Amino acid sequence: MTFAYQLQHIQVHAGSQCILDLPKLDIPAGKLIALLGDNGAGKSTLLNLLALTTQPSQGEFTLAAQPFTPTTSKQMQRQLGYVAQQPYLFHGSVENNIQLALKLQGSPREHNAALVQSALEQVGLTQLANQSAASLSGGERKRAAIARAIAHQPKILLLDEPFSHLDTTSRKQLTQIIQHYASQPEHTVIFSTHDHLQALSLTDDVIYLNQGKLAPAPRLNLFHGSQQQHVFDTGKLKIEIPQGPQKTNYIAIDPKQIVISKQALHSSMRNHFLGRLILIAEENNVIHLTVDCGENFHVLISPQSLESLDLSVGKELWLSFKSNAVQCF
Amino acid sequence: MSYFVDALAGATSLITQFDPETYQIVSTSLFISIIATLIAASLAVPAGIVTALNHFWGKGILQHLLNTLMAMPTVVIGLLLYGMLSRYGPLGHWDLLYTRTAVIIAETILIFPIIMNLTIAAVNAADSRLVPTLRSLGARGWQIAWHTAIEMRFAIIAAVIAGFGRAIGEIGAAMMLGGNIEGFTRTMTTAIALETSKGEFETGLALGMLLLLVTFILTFSLSWLQRSRS
Repeated sequence: MTFAYQLQHIQVHAGSQCILDLPKLDIPAGKLIALLGDNGAGKSTLLNLLALTTQPSQGEFTLAAQPFTPTTSKQMQRQLGYVAQQPYLFHGSVENNIQLALKLQGSPREHNAALVQSALEQVGLTQLANQSAASLSGGERKRAAIARAIAHQPKILLLDEPFSHLDTTSRKQLTQIIQHYASQPEHTVIFSTHDHLQALSLTDDVIYLNQGKLAPAPRLNLFHGSQQQHVFDTGKLKIEIPQGPQKTNYIAIDPKQIVISKQALHSSMRNHFLGRLILIAEENNVIHLTVDCGENFHVLISPQSLESLDLSVGKELWLSFKSNAVQCF
Repeated sequence: MSYFVDALAGATSLITQFDPETYQIVSTSLFISIIATLIAASLAVPAGIVTALNHFWGKGILQHLLNTLMAMPTVVIGLLLYGMLSRYGPLGHWDLLYTRTAVIIAETILIFPIIMNLTIAAVNAADSRLVPTLRSLGARGWQIAWHTAIEMRFAIIAAVIAGFGRAIGEIGAAMMLGGNIEGFTRTMTTAIALETSKGEFETGLALGMLLLLVTFILTFSLSWLQRSRS
């Protein structure tokens, strides 16, 4: 496996406080990766570190197998595109912004026109190429910033909270842009978000940060309770879990591993619960359901599944999942 | 009142009839101020940008010093330079006293802290995302400084214009170092002082009006720049 980044013993301090502490983190190349965590978890700090705009207080890391040093940072930067949460656009037109980025990246001048055109096409801003950056809407600004970041065709694209403060249409456009860029061979896209469902709706590869440290798993469908052999009792439900040597007080169930049906399924899955559908929402072309089975379960399904099951709020549904879908900690 | 009206009419006549002596004084003033502004700006703008973008020991003290120098009376600068450039001073052998060069040096020293301080303020007022954005796009060192200057160009131009305004309106150092020599170092401000003391109120008033016109053009340019920016 090739890695986009390999981090060892990384610490970043703000004053005397350690805001990022990563003993080891390997980020595979060629994938779409979500960097998940609550506000203040260290997502932006990690993204800035990966974007080479922040240097670690201690530790070392490689980018595409090249060790990072301050002297190599300029050369390594050419492999990166970074889009901040609220991107700053320079005075001038959208095209001027992209041209400047190419100039700073040292791109040969004769290629620039084609690269600008390609970047604008990828983000759907060809019509606004000559428009002043100051007059763009929030969604257009994000797309212009992405065009500027990808104009030199970096292998790694880093996006800090790309979906924040955007309307539904802009989020859909941005999702398509990100998925399209990530679908190209050798491209690695890392985006941060605090929204678990949003992360899981785009990718299965999630890095979870909690208070500046790596945490084991995204905690969706998180339940507290007590374990008795291979059954976990939340107080309202008894859930079959994989048998392990240690007692557990928390479990989490991956929302993509929950199967929904109108009738009870007869399968090898050990957990079956009847519930009532209380919420249907769409995120990044993935349908998010919330089902009340005594405990509220979050489930992610495709739009096709939604249509074929003819679901509506208030209807009864069966949820099924394997005991192996339950993570215990 | 009629004295004032008569003087105003006489002054207008000097301006509209392109009185050679009056325009000689104006051109001397403009020449000295423009050269001093160009020299000061070419040093103070880069120094201001570098100071604003970097953290170093003594930065606070430097800014306090610049603030003090901004408020320094021009006659003090004139006095110090007079001591340096006079025949028995350490730089007396340069033979610069009562030359345009001496006035240019004095005005450059006078407006350097103004332009540098206002440049620092302009860069500090830049959007906090500007430098991280430049860095994320691969800019380093002088590229960050250069593109920060381009982004903040209107505020930096305003700083330079403020320096020019100070130079063209300056009298103390120009009088002490230039000597108010007709056709050579006589500037608008020194001429106004001289003509008024001689009772030539019309000439003084004409020069005053032209000085006001230059000031008006400066302030108009500033507000035009600010409108362009917004």
